[in-house]
Amino acid sequence: MQVKIIIGTIAFMLTMIVIGFISLLEPARMEAFTEAYTGRSIENGAELFANNCATCHGIEGRAEECFDPSSGEPTGCIGLPLNNAQLVCGTRSARMEQLEWAGTKQDFIQSTIASGRVGTAMPTWGEEFGGPLQPNQVLDLTLFVLNWESEELCAEPTPEPVGWPATVAELPEGNPDNGQDHYAVTFGCQGCHGQVVEEGSNTIGPWLGNIAEEGAERVEGYTAADYVYESILNPNAHIAPDCPNGPCTEPSAMPGNFAQQMTLQDMADVIAYLLGTNEFESSAEIQLPE
Amino acid sequence: MATFFDQVSEMGLKQATIAKVDESVERLTAGMNLNDIRAALRGDEPRRPNPRLRPHADGFWLHIRPSFYHTEVTQIYPSFRLGWLSTFMFVWETVTGIFLMIFYTPSPEVAYQDIWNILGNVPLGQLMRNLHRFGAEVMVVVVALHMLRTFITGSYKHPRQFTWFTGMILLVLTLVLSFSGYLLPWDQLAYWAVTVAVSAAEAMPGPEVLGTNVNLLLRGAPTIGAGGLLRFYLLHVLALPLLLAIFFFVHYYKVVIHGHSLPPGREAIGEDSGKRVPRDERTYFIPDILTSELMWTALATLFLIAGSIWFYNAPLERQANPLVTPLHVVAPWYLAWSQGWLKLADKVFIAFVFIPGLATAFFVMPYLEVGKSRRYASRRVGITVSMLFIAFMWMSNWMGSPEYRVQSSPDQEVSQELMPQEGHSALKEVPYEALEPGVYRPGDVVPENPHLTAALAEFEHAMMQRSCTLPGTDAPWPECRVEETPTGVRYGNNFTDDAMPNPDAWLTIDNKQHNMRQLILTFEVLDPDNPDRLLYDYSLTGYRHELSNYEEQ
Ligand code: HEC
Ligand code: HEC
Ligand code: HEM
Repeated sequence: MQVKIIIGTIAFMLTMIVIGFISLLEPARMEAFTEAYTGRSIENGAELFANNCATCHGIEGRAEECFDPSSGEPTGCIGLPLNNAQLVCGTRSARMEQLEWAGTKQDFIQSTIASGRVGTAMPTWGEEFGGPLQPNQVLDLTLFVLNWESEELCAEPTPEPVGWPATVAELPEGNPDNGQDHYAVTFGCQGCHGQVVEEGSNTIGPWLGNIAEEGAERVEGYTAADYVYESILNPNAHIAPDCPNGPCTEPSAMPGNFAQQMTLQDMADVIAYLLGTNEFESSAEIQLPE
Repeated sequence: MATFFDQVSEMGLKQATIAKVDESVERLTAGMNLNDIRAALRGDEPRRPNPRLRPHADGFWLHIRPSFYHTEVTQIYPSFRLGWLSTFMFVWETVTGIFLMIFYTPSPEVAYQDIWNILGNVPLGQLMRNLHRFGAEVMVVVVALHMLRTFITGSYKHPRQFTWFTGMILLVLTLVLSFSGYLLPWDQLAYWAVTVAVSAAEAMPGPEVLGTNVNLLLRGAPTIGAGGLLRFYLLHVLALPLLLAIFFFVHYYKVVIHGHSLPPGREAIGEDSGKRVPRDERTYFIPDILTSELMWTALATLFLIAGSIWFYNAPLERQANPLVTPLHVVAPWYLAWSQGWLKLADKVFIAFVFIPGLATAFFVMPYLEVGKSRRYASRRVGITVSMLFIAFMWMSNWMGSPEYRVQSSPDQEVSQELMPQEGHSALKEVPYEALEPGVYRPGDVVPENPHLTAALAEFEHAMMQRSCTLPGTDAPWPECRVEETPTGVRYGNNFTDDAMPNPDAWLTIDNKQHNMRQLILTFEVLDPDNPDRLLYDYSLTGYRHELSNYEEQ
């Protein structure tokens, strides 16, 4: 019996020592655990991104190399670049300032993904708003998008803003062939506006096959070239009447960042392609974006 | 009656306090004062009348325990302490379970987050979860061994048939209790294992309404969701433990009534001497058995804690997602046999004839097997049958694993082995720094990179088991069978009926983000009969973040 008392006491003391020992290591363990699970969450986010978002935002999130979700054929990118210093760098990123977002950066991304952007091609993803993804998956995606923030990306110089002239006549001469390429692939206009040669192929924005005539009638005092130029640079200046799913909504579903993506030449090429001429008549100064 | 103050003035403070403490101790122990306890610990003979019997007679806690045992049954053999250990495990699970309950909400929205929180934010939370989960598995083992031992020593025979019967109830409750806890973390592993198991109810024979309704009753809705989780939770924390506690007392009451059976060789055939204990063969509960049980409590606690810290890590996979079915759904190991049987025979037959039939056979076994002798030599057939049954269960468990007859295509199997969605693999455990970007073939040796080299060796091994040849390696090849089937030629070897002829497979590692790599496994296998056609064409992409730390967590 004495032996049993001794064995029992030793076992009890060992247990206490072991517990005491690992209690000391607990804070470090909890931190390592949280880190590891954040890492895994980002990995899940990468997988979800490849399966759901790369079609519109590009494989590397740069709004390049987009593809059609059903056929896998390359298409122009409808979505904005997310692997982008404007969106992810700094505690308050440039995009948050621009959209006057008051909350945190994580909230900004997370709520954009969960609820989508009303009136734009950005779908609703959160289950709670009728989308297909669970809240934890939206979180995974958010952490993945935020994880693009890196020293390298944030050190990239912000591109010099292009000085856009106030009248379309000051643009260089356009090349309709390059314009077609830009329309279909580079800037992804076709993803929303459909093919110019096929009425009804548009999905989100109005069909542009007849914009040379229609455009001249949209705004008092504008020529078609003035109107198209303004529509691309500053989609919210005037909202078109008819979109494929009813009246076009305000604010415009058309991305407002072509002013940052295009050069003067790209703009001239696209307008030349849409209007079928590279002589741009101008009768008014357009509203430039802020 | 003298108050404490009267006593102080009479005897002085010190003596009065000692007397008071002595009195309190005697009340708490329902009959033993300090001197009695000291004497018991010292191993002295008790005074007369024996105060060590009074806690059994007057106290609540010990009234169900016998005050003495036959010395023959107090050694390790014949009980191996297994019944006691089963009880200990039940108490253990209750205590650790209550700790986990504090931090857990049974709702699909938060259950998984709660487990995550227990692991990442609650001090000692991971330990508690491991203790509870490890404890559950140990409990299943201990209960099964206890059953085996009562079988082997013939303790189920007259008059203890009903003890065995109630023991069977406890066994079933233990298994169901374990299984109901399985769903609570609400991860993929849990969700799919339970979905598959519960769906067996749908196949119930008889009118269709019956199966549908039983299924509905269990799940609370057509699929497992908030309702199902809440039901499983309530079963797990309330209904089943309560039933188990009740039947434990029935079981134990029977054990005490009949007395612990002696080792079979110690009594004459056909006699039951468990209840009649001659004076000189008694071992008293106080102090001997009690000390022994306290020692076992300390040892079992140490074992469980050390095991949960160093050898066991409760898995937590991704959050349950009803839209994503994992490649392999596996039942917990202690139920894998049922999965094995389901693969072999008709679902309805197994779930509604075979398993219930087998269970019934176990329940009534002691009433049918009425041989008088408990001795091993007289029970050769019974003991042989039990050993064969154990072997059969072992086999069935193996058949329950995905290795047996649920192979998907070989390229997917290899991918699953190297980059499983859930769980561990050689490639997953390569540390982040060792994942040098590049293109690697199975079996490549990467200089100064033992981790990656080991993973690529594993890649080669997995490929070898599922291919006919592997270009670029001269390792010995399992022989390949070529079979003509109506749909074309099929290749097979000892490991699989579905092997890749002359496959090309490689692993590409590159950077996805500044602190995350992308791993792509690609398989391209040409059809040898038709070189324009790809027989297998598959790729699987996985990601690995700097912090994920699969090698340790
Ligand atoms: C059908 C195309 C499409 C898909 C698919 C898509 N997006 Fe978008 N996304 C857009 C468009 C268009 C915008 C720009 C909305 C606007 O103009 O404000 C956008 C904007 C965003 C923004 C805000 C960017 C900013 O700078 O304001 C985030 C973040 C985002 N998407 C994330 C995602 C994620 C994550 C997924 C995958 C779950 C996804 N998107 C899938 C089209 C898409
Ligand atoms: C995400 C979808 C989307 C993309 C991409 C897009 N647009 Fe639009 N666009 C719209 C929508 C919606 C409207 C209608 C609302 C408005 O007037 O702003 C519109 C309006 C227009 C209009 C005015 C049409 C009219 O009938 O009044 C023009 C011109 C136009 N877009 C040109 C372009 C060009 C050129 C590109 C490519 C550089 C482009 N859009 C890219 C969605 C898109
Ligand atoms: C939660 C599960 C169980 C608990 C807590 C439990 C507990 C106990 C305890 C404490 C004893 C007393 C002595 C000993 O250690 O053997 C005992 C005896 C016994 N148990 Fe169990 N038991 C359980 C399951 C089972 C099962 C599954 C069976 C068999 C089907 C079984 C059959 C018996 C029999 C026949 C005895 C009498 C042994 C004898 O007198 O030698 N028990 N049980």
